[in-house]
Amino acid sequence: MDKLIIDGIETTPDPNKTVLEVARELGIHIPTLCYHKSLTPYGACRICVVETIWKGRSRLHTACTYPAWEGEVKTNSEKVIRLRKSILALMLAEAPEAEEIKELAAEYGVEKTRFRPRKEKRNKKCIMCGLCVRVCHDVMGFGAIGFENRGYRREVTPPFETYSDVCTTCGACAFVCPTGAIDLKALSDKKVRPILSEFDRNLASRPCVHIPFPQAVPNIPVIDKEHCVYFKTGGCRVCETVCGPQAVDYQQKDQIVEEDVGAVVVATGFDTLPLADLGEYGYGKYPDVIDGLAFERLLSASGPTSGEVKRPSDGKVPKEVVFVQCAGSRDPEKYCPHCSKICCMYTAKHALLYKHRVHDGQPYIFYIDVRTGGKSYEEFYHRVSEQEGVPYIRGKVSKVFPDGDKLMVWGVDTLTAKKVEIAADLVVLATAMVPSQDSQKLFSILKLATDKDGFLSEAHPKLRPVESIISGFFLAGSAQGPRDIPETVAQASGAASKVIGLFSQEKLHHEPIVAVVDEDLCSGCKVCISVCPYDAREFDEEKGIVKVNELLCEGCGACVVACPSGATQQKNLTDDQIRQMVKAVLGE
Amino acid sequence: MKKIKSIEQLERFRKEILKTRETKKQCIIIFGGTCGRSRGSEDILDAVRAEIKNQGLEERVEVRGPGCVGFCEVEPVVVLKPQEIYYPRVKTDDIPRIVAETLVEGKILDELLFSDPVSGKRCVSGDEIPFYQKQQRNLLSHHGEIEPTSIDDYIAIGGYSALVKVLSSISPVEIIDIIKKSGLRGRGGGGFPTGIKWESCRKAEGDIKYVLCNADEGDPGAYMDRSLLEGNPHSILEGMIIGAYAIGAHEGYIYVRQEYPLACEHFILALDQARDYGLLGKNILGSRFNFDVQVNRGGGAFVCGESTALMASIEGKPGEPRAKHVHTVEKGLWERPSCLNNVETWANVPLIINRGWSWYSQIGTEKSKGTKIFSLVGKVQNTGLVEVPMGITLREVIYDIGGGIRDGKKFKAVQTGGPSGGVIPEKLLHLPVDFESLTEAGSMMGSGGMIVMDEDNCMVDIAKYFINFLKDESCGKCTPCREGLVQMHAVLEDITEGKGKEEDIEFLEDLAWTISNGSLCQLGATASNPVLSTLKYFKKEYEAHIKDRRCPAGVCKALIRYWIDEKECTGCGVCFKQCPEDAIAGKLKKPHKIDESKCIKCGICYDVCKFDAVVLE
Repeated sequence: MDKLIIDGIETTPDPNKTVLEVARELGIHIPTLCYHKSLTPYGACRICVVETIWKGRSRLHTACTYPAWEGEVKTNSEKVIRLRKSILALMLAEAPEAEEIKELAAEYGVEKTRFRPRKEKRNKKCIMCGLCVRVCHDVMGFGAIGFENRGYRREVTPPFETYSDVCTTCGACAFVCPTGAIDLKALSDKKVRPILSEFDRNLASRPCVHIPFPQAVPNIPVIDKEHCVYFKTGGCRVCETVCGPQAVDYQQKDQIVEEDVGAVVVATGFDTLPLADLGEYGYGKYPDVIDGLAFERLLSASGPTSGEVKRPSDGKVPKEVVFVQCAGSRDPEKYCPHCSKICCMYTAKHALLYKHRVHDGQPYIFYIDVRTGGKSYEEFYHRVSEQEGVPYIRGKVSKVFPDGDKLMVWGVDTLTAKKVEIAADLVVLATAMVPSQDSQKLFSILKLATDKDGFLSEAHPKLRPVESIISGFFLAGSAQGPRDIPETVAQASGAASKVIGLFSQEKLHHEPIVAVVDEDLCSGCKVCISVCPYDAREFDEEKGIVKVNELLCEGCGACVVACPSGATQQKNLTDDQIRQMVKAVLGE
Repeated sequence: MKKIKSIEQLERFRKEILKTRETKKQCIIIFGGTCGRSRGSEDILDAVRAEIKNQGLEERVEVRGPGCVGFCEVEPVVVLKPQEIYYPRVKTDDIPRIVAETLVEGKILDELLFSDPVSGKRCVSGDEIPFYQKQQRNLLSHHGEIEPTSIDDYIAIGGYSALVKVLSSISPVEIIDIIKKSGLRGRGGGGFPTGIKWESCRKAEGDIKYVLCNADEGDPGAYMDRSLLEGNPHSILEGMIIGAYAIGAHEGYIYVRQEYPLACEHFILALDQARDYGLLGKNILGSRFNFDVQVNRGGGAFVCGESTALMASIEGKPGEPRAKHVHTVEKGLWERPSCLNNVETWANVPLIINRGWSWYSQIGTEKSKGTKIFSLVGKVQNTGLVEVPMGITLREVIYDIGGGIRDGKKFKAVQTGGPSGGVIPEKLLHLPVDFESLTEAGSMMGSGGMIVMDEDNCMVDIAKYFINFLKDESCGKCTPCREGLVQMHAVLEDITEGKGKEEDIEFLEDLAWTISNGSLCQLGATASNPVLSTLKYFKKEYEAHIKDRRCPAGVCKALIRYWIDEKECTGCGVCFKQCPEDAIAGKLKKPHKIDESKCIKCGICYDVCKFDAVVLE
């Protein structure tokens, strides 16, 4: 016959594949429980049983183990259904708390089991499919859990029911478990540390292979090398086995890309002031003190709570939320002197959205001033404070501390000069915007000047707001100073236009004032090289003197002052010319 | 001992051994397998040695301590040669007389001879004893002639001559042909033709192949393999070497239960001796054929007798079966071609090579050839190891060899095939013992356990016993076997406790279908047999338990009660004294009474009463 017929569909037999694999390729659904693509078929749960007919002989085999030999296979025959029903009924007795089994059984019309519950079994969700044990040993290479005992006394446990040293709480066991029967905390004494999602502000976990955030560019998954078991021990490689197009490449490395460019737009963004620094608000000590970005994720439909506002500590819906503006901003004594500019508006938005999500919720906003510089911003603020009735309390919060399962917030209302005490469920801090972490290192490499708060300095605050003082470098967004999205977009558009303007010229224009070196006087001491902020000087090995790159030189004159031998002068602005100008001014 | 490097050397060596033994005209044999030893055979052996020394007979008399005699019922057994005098149930006190009178003077001690329980006749030699008369002892025939710890003994009786024969004149393909023609089928239970298995393994692709011996005999009441290993380990080893040569394997394993210490000891010793003699290891007998065997001791899991579980266990993994759609002869141990045969199968091989396939194929039936060893136990008069030609009827085995049922009770059923087998009722005792007939009757040949039951055995209780055994021995890998057997056992327990429901029988049959059809391995697939076969032949007993709340055999405690018949009771007080629960009250010489609230139904009063005053109902 040399044909394999599955549920009437003819296909070519392939002894290197199993009936399950071929059936799935054909789009035929066969239920499985103990099967996982990255593991050798085990054939234990028996739920994938199919009827095979070969040479007129009908037999029942598990599709996950049976080779795709020639013959006929029926995946839903009467016998198959009878056996699956019976097995599911046995499983319902074995694992009465496994919701997944209840659902699968219900699909087969098995609502109640005729078998008696397995009282002595410890784990009421486990169906002994062995996926956890096998993934830990065969795939991860640890072998931290195994089966104890034989037969009906079987249970999954670490060896000798004590915590295993080799367990890394990687969570593979819990991941593959089809019935949610694995409690990592019960299996190991090591702290279970889920990999926290940076994008979700640590409010949710994420897998090792992940897309860093929605709309990431490029929008493809990355492997988190720091946590990936393969990069730690050489084990796992599950992602490779499940990836259909075989796109997983463990050899990929971070690369340094060199490009010749004509202009650079510096848009390194911002970070928020590390919350750990804000001791009086209890961040780090109390899980229910969060920042605005975290609250933003809680409101998001694609966030960790699917848009339901739930507090991190116990998942309860917070009924009283205190928003603290200027957490670290406008506080020159302790934190940042500058205004973070965006907090007033986003806090107003948060309070509004919170009220809409939690109808019986009560937000409070502590503020110093409400700054609504922007089109329609003031109107929005009025809507929140007056129409929606969100109480705005003018004053600062002095202390946050726990009180039962609440957070006691102490503050002052400076308009009434009264002490305010609020028992809150959640405290949201509008933390100060600061230049992004590590940006200072980049700025010093690029030799870009910053202000006292670490934001980039523009060439001229009024006339050249998107350019740096160094030609060819442009600024965009919060790298230059706190700003919101519309402003950032506007500034970035400006910077882009400047770049286009630069590139559209046939010749590059440059101020005529540049440094020159009198070769006869230069001793080659190189002092000028170290003081030049623009890298415009280089040492000529042959002649033993320093030369000036006139294109890079901005004519600042630092070298002129530094040169001990007086060999450096500014072209078109020599000392003599300056003297003459002074004289002319004085009318001598 | 120098290595024997050629076939000629082995022949010379054999003659030398025989020559040194010519001086000893007489021989006294004290049989001592594990069973014999447990009944004191070692003390007897010591006593005989001391007595021979005392009397200064060492030069003239050979003292031999071979393995099992087979007739467990009458152990320890002493046999004197050349007269072939057979003394059963010997005590150490008998030894001085046996040595002084029988050995020295040649006088037969009548009172020590075996007396047949059926006819009452006294038998001088073993051949006269009915237990042996209907047997055809091919595999067990040499058990009296060799000390299992002596390779020289084995060589002296012609051991390793089959190996010589194949290495010198038979090609591997011819060996397989001989085995195929002989009709030998696997003795482990499945009955797969051995020659075909060897051929498939030989033809399977792979440089490295394995030869395996399954000595994980786990059936309750079965001990054929143990006795062979204890009594004649070299015959098994010789079979394995021949098999390896035929298949093209150079490595072998024997998987033997740790609970068989004597078997392990004897087989390991046999391996050492064979290696010393050059019969095992590199360049066997100068033939350039290399083969060695390792001993792997099992932890006692019944499931490890299943081929793939056994292999997993050798690999160091938990003893769990795996799917074997691709046979183990192609992908077995470490995914390499492996030929696994049972102890008894291997032991048959040298016999077939030596005596020819046509001799072998004359024994037995059309489809089942040769002899088969059974351990005949239970309620028969003569319990023991029985080697019979295939095709002998169950009645012959139980009544002619086994001497019928003890204490004049009535036969009820015989359980064959171990826990996965089934029971066969009296109406089928005419069945010939062969693979097909037993399977057809709902039981199976299995590895050779044969448990005889009488009217005092409750068939529901028997089914419960075996299901309980299997439930404990299920590896737990697959759901139907692990979970199904627990549920099945619970229902059987209910029935025996008088809590059975009418729908239970249907429930059992349906669950049996699930376990049989859904399980991964043969342990699960056959696990329902005890229930199915008892239901098939003894449904009435189930119904009596469920409908009438009655155990016809008087076994199930919840369904029976003991009471004292006042008319018969003499008030002797024996029951009163023996009752462990003080449940019997009464004054001396006045009828006693059982307090049923205290009675635990242990049955001691029933057993001890000399006047049949205690009634069981």
